Amino acid sequence: MKEDSKQLIELAGRIYDLDTEVYRVLGSGLGRVFSGSRDARVRDMVHYMTAQPDGHVLRSEIALIGNMARTIPDKAERSRLMREYDAILKQVEALPNSFAAGDILDEGLASLNSSAQLSGRFGEGNHLIICIGRTYGSAGTDIGFALADTLKINYYDSEIFTEVLERLEADKEDVMDRASFAHKQNLNQSIDVKDRSFREKLREFNRYHGLPKEDAVFFNQSDLLHEMAQREDFVIMGRCADVILTNQRIPHISIFINAPFELRARRVMETDELSYKNACKLLRQLDRRHRKYYQFYTGRQWGNSVNYDLCINSASYGIEGSVKLIERIINQHTKR
Amino acid sequence: MKKFIIFVAALLLSCVPVMAVGAEGAQTAGGVPLWLCIPFAGLLLCIAVFPLVRPLWWEKYQAWIVAFWSLVFLIPFGLTNGAGMAAETALECIVNDYLPFIVLLFGLFCVAGNITLEGDLAGSPRINVALLLFGTLLSSWVGTTGASMLMVRPLIKMNSWRKRKRHIMVFFIFLISNIGGCLTPIGDPPLLMGFSRGVPFFWSLRLFPLMLFNTVILLFVFYWLDMRAYRMDIAAGMKPDISKPGTQVRIRGLHNLVFLVMIVAAVILSGTLPTLPAFQTAEGEVLGLVLPGGVRLTVPSVIEMTIILVAAFLSFRTTDASVRKENHFTWGAIEEVAVLFVGIFITMQPALLLLKTYGASLGLDSPMELFWATGALSSFLDNTPTYLVFLTTACALNFTEGVATTLGTVPTAMLSAVSCGAVFMGANTYIGNAPNFMVKAISDENGIRMPSFFGYLLWSLLFLGPVFLLDALIFFR
Repeated sequence: MKEDSKQLIELAGRIYDLDTEVYRVLGSGLGRVFSGSRDARVRDMVHYMTAQPDGHVLRSEIALIGNMARTIPDKAERSRLMREYDAILKQVEALPNSFAAGDILDEGLASLNSSAQLSGRFGEGNHLIICIGRTYGSAGTDIGFALADTLKINYYDSEIFTEVLERLEADKEDVMDRASFAHKQNLNQSIDVKDRSFREKLREFNRYHGLPKEDAVFFNQSDLLHEMAQREDFVIMGRCADVILTNQRIPHISIFINAPFELRARRVMETDELSYKNACKLLRQLDRRHRKYYQFYTGRQWGNSVNYDLCINSASYGIEGSVKLIERIINQHTKR
Repeated sequence: MKKFIIFVAALLLSCVPVMAVGAEGAQTAGGVPLWLCIPFAGLLLCIAVFPLVRPLWWEKYQAWIVAFWSLVFLIPFGLTNGAGMAAETALECIVNDYLPFIVLLFGLFCVAGNITLEGDLAGSPRINVALLLFGTLLSSWVGTTGASMLMVRPLIKMNSWRKRKRHIMVFFIFLISNIGGCLTPIGDPPLLMGFSRGVPFFWSLRLFPLMLFNTVILLFVFYWLDMRAYRMDIAAGMKPDISKPGTQVRIRGLHNLVFLVMIVAAVILSGTLPTLPAFQTAEGEVLGLVLPGGVRLTVPSVIEMTIILVAAFLSFRTTDASVRKENHFTWGAIEEVAVLFVGIFITMQPALLLLKTYGASLGLDSPMELFWATGALSSFLDNTPTYLVFLTTACALNFTEGVATTLGTVPTAMLSAVSCGAVFMGANTYIGNAPNFMVKAISDENGIRMPSFFGYLLWSLLFLGPVFLLDALIFFR
């Protein structure tokens, strides 16, 4: 099984490299078959090779590379790449019917997300990255902060957003940080509705590359996280970081912290000095906003236990207990 | 209408010789037996099936397959009607239909290929909707082919970061390559044909509410589909490169717009010159070079083609090669279209002859019937002769009120139905309108997995079918 998987990854890598090479030789600016990071696309291809109902998709996509390769004006280059194309095609056609059998283990996911594999997850040169998703009022933010302090690593929440704004040369007043629990007083008010002149709209269009600004912020956040993951250990709160890092094949630990609604409401009444009714209303609105945000950018369900390595009911352990629990698991498996 | 349904069914099923033999009364039309439509059906079937089952083989032997089906039509046609008649039919179709068609396509392909949009504008549902809307509105003023060639590469480029993008190109074909061209005679060749038959130039602007109706519905559906695909792409970790603050958009080769205008002017001239006395003989025929078999290569047609070819030549001479490289400009797309369409034009002749013979006797006398009849046949046949046949049919109904043309007076509702049927339903198949296949070929060359022939048909049935049904119920009842 492991051997098969290695071969498939190698084959997928060759396909990706061929696409890259064809694109480079053509010098075209119109795009390619496998856009995106190598790791992510290789993983997709391996999935296509093993998932039979989708097997034809890969064949069609390889054919598209062939289409492009055939248009290369330089004869020698065309012949070189077509030879590689033919070799790949033969190898793909020779694939056995199924490589997937037996275990429920998703090896791709397991290498990133399964706590059972935690010990082998962080290899040489990988940094310890802990992604914490949490509901408001569950003390998740406090747990994340205390954990970073205990592990003596950096803690990031809205700092990421500020950095992204700097990159985009945007003003804080213009964009709402939808990933954080900030702006909780203005949940029904969108910054977008503010009247703007045509000139301002045009400037905004230019600044965000024609994208909706929330999406531009998200894409920049993804880039920033990727860069940070190359240079330091850290705890990151929310921002779909778990999925962003999974997509970029960056090892990390994902944790979701929740607590019973009643307890969260009681905590919010204290911390935000709200009535019980208003605290419940705020929690419901924030949960809805976060669910929507997470689902929009990841296609996954926020808080669904299958998406995380570890889900903690903070009410069972408290802030200190939760930190100790996480620390124990990390130390046990990563031998820090 | 029943007769029309029988006619279409017989046409589509003509690949079954038994049926043709059994269809008494519809067996011949001016010496054309129904079974001669088999090569057309055979060629369409090859275009539909071979790219799926034997793509490499198809690519290698495409021209031979086209030649085979053309001969399968021409040889029996020659045997039943004489070799001279067969040669004349082939020559007539190549000189008068295929040549202007491919030269126009070639000119626009060259000129548009020399304009490139550089920059890091990222394709998102919002941008895509805006571009599709812009292209749709542009189609009527530079032609559906011109707008398609101009817009296809920027759209592909902006969406190059995405994985799920075939729907963008499908809706591109629906809107820019077809529906958008209904407002002026420049938009689509059938309307130009109407213009040269006396329909006022700006008459088609009356179709604006229809175009708006269709465009709004399709853009809403597109936005929903695109948003879904966009979210899936983001969820899968795809992202555009927007690392630099601010967008730098630069259009290179912008001077080629002059050549584009030249081509549009040539198209308009081809519609207006034949009506001028200076270009007519004493007998009222259009001046031209008479080829063997009496086939006439008209002077306006030569003028049109010359202007287009000069525009294409100048475009190449004045544009840096790096622009074409950036655009991934290759001859592959135009080559494929040129090869396939020469066969399509030749093999569709029996179907067109049948249509000319039986068109008027199909008993179509309401706008709705004309809309569906023109549309259904325009989906597979050349929409210009189809338009002409049904315009003639409508004019022959002896109406006294409506638009006065050289063919007779046609009520506005009927003219709208014929025009919309011919223009809109060209979107139903890849071969329904010239730019459809070009957009498919360019997309295929640039990493977009386009639907197969039948796959595309399914898309059009699913998304265009209901819209056309609404058109028929609201506008042509």
